[in-house]
Amino acid sequence: MSSSGTPSSESPPPTAIAQDPAEPTGPPASPSTVIANHKRKDTSKVIVRFRAIGNAPIMKQNVFKITASNKFMAVIQFLRKELNYQHSDPLRVLAGTG
Amino acid sequence: MHTTSENPVARVIWEGSIPIQFIWDPTETQGRILEPYFVEVPRCSYLSLITNQIRRDFAAKRLGFTSDEGEMWFDYQGIPLKWHYPIGLLFDIHVLQATSMKKEAELPLPWRVTVHSQNFPGEKLIKNPTLKSCQDYFMSMIKEADYLRNGSTKKVMNMSKSDQTQLWEGLWSKSYDQFWGMNQRLVSNDGTMARNLPVRIYLPENCPVIQDLVSPLDEYGGPRTLRQILHAAVPDLFPLVVVDAGLSSPVASVLIHGVRPSLETDAIWAAQTMAYPDNFLHLVVVLE
Repeated sequence: MSSSGTPSSESPPPTAIAQDPAEPTGPPASPSTVIANHKRKDTSKVIVRFRAIGNAPIMKQNVFKITASNKFMAVIQFLRKELNYQHSDPLRVLAGTG
Repeated sequence: MHTTSENPVARVIWEGSIPIQFIWDPTETQGRILEPYFVEVPRCSYLSLITNQIRRDFAAKRLGFTSDEGEMWFDYQGIPLKWHYPIGLLFDIHVLQATSMKKEAELPLPWRVTVHSQNFPGEKLIKNPTLKSCQDYFMSMIKEADYLRNGSTKKVMNMSKSDQTQLWEGLWSKSYDQFWGMNQRLVSNDGTMARNLPVRIYLPENCPVIQDLVSPLDEYGGPRTLRQILHAAVPDLFPLVVVDAGLSSPVASVLIHGVRPSLETDAIWAAQTMAYPDNFLHLVVVLE
């Protein structure tokens, strides 16, 4: 899925991105530089907390780090491996319900 | 409570449409050249919603042809089209944004889209583009929008099954009154201020989609403009203040439903009126 971030349960209150009037006033980057920078993969890490609901098995460890550029699909595939679930075993993953 | 039926902007957006010429991939017709299928489709609709009528048309022209709905896919100039994006958004990204990059003036209308029934590009597109998958994706976008506005999906989840279905049915049957009769409650957040606005920003050249938390109000409690939202996401393309209007022409502008709105447009109004039926305000950035 190309959709970006999923709201996390620990998202800060909606202050959004601060517009600091005192930000450095260098010359703006050219559009091609801006686009090239945005295309670069985000290598920062995101902390993912798993919580079992319904009759999902409890995990030994439930906090993991994942590279931000991964798709949500990677989280599901990881979870299936971790839980030793076969392809046919039903697994529902909900995001952001804190 | 049919306040939006009086909203001429929401209605014009709902009625926006694009003429498309569907061409069957010649390598999949055993050398036969099939007559293309012409159809005018709503900008707010999805490719998955018209797959069946295209399939029927091609099946009628080609004896003994069968193909699975879940195997059909579309491309424009070799780029697979995401079936889970609204058609108008696809057109704005792949035609208007792309031509602005190439500095081409002429609009290629009708939009020439190629149809495939084989070799589904599973690494580029979400699999199984059926009507049911499309409905699920559409509803999950509406829930995500609700989450951004309220920090929970209660508003959508507490809707009755028939009220939820009314959204999809309204879109499917192109009924403005049916869709907006229900959607108004969601986009207006029942009259309360949203925590965040559901906004997605699309830069050229297939950059990852930008989706940040977008507060409807600025730090002084005033309503934000589209310019402020775009500036927060890509400050180099959208300066907050135009230094000298005569000397520095803007480097970028934005498209919603194929039109360039003023960047001083109130973002709350835009999110309530110019969002796609999936409740997201999709902003397509074009370079000047």
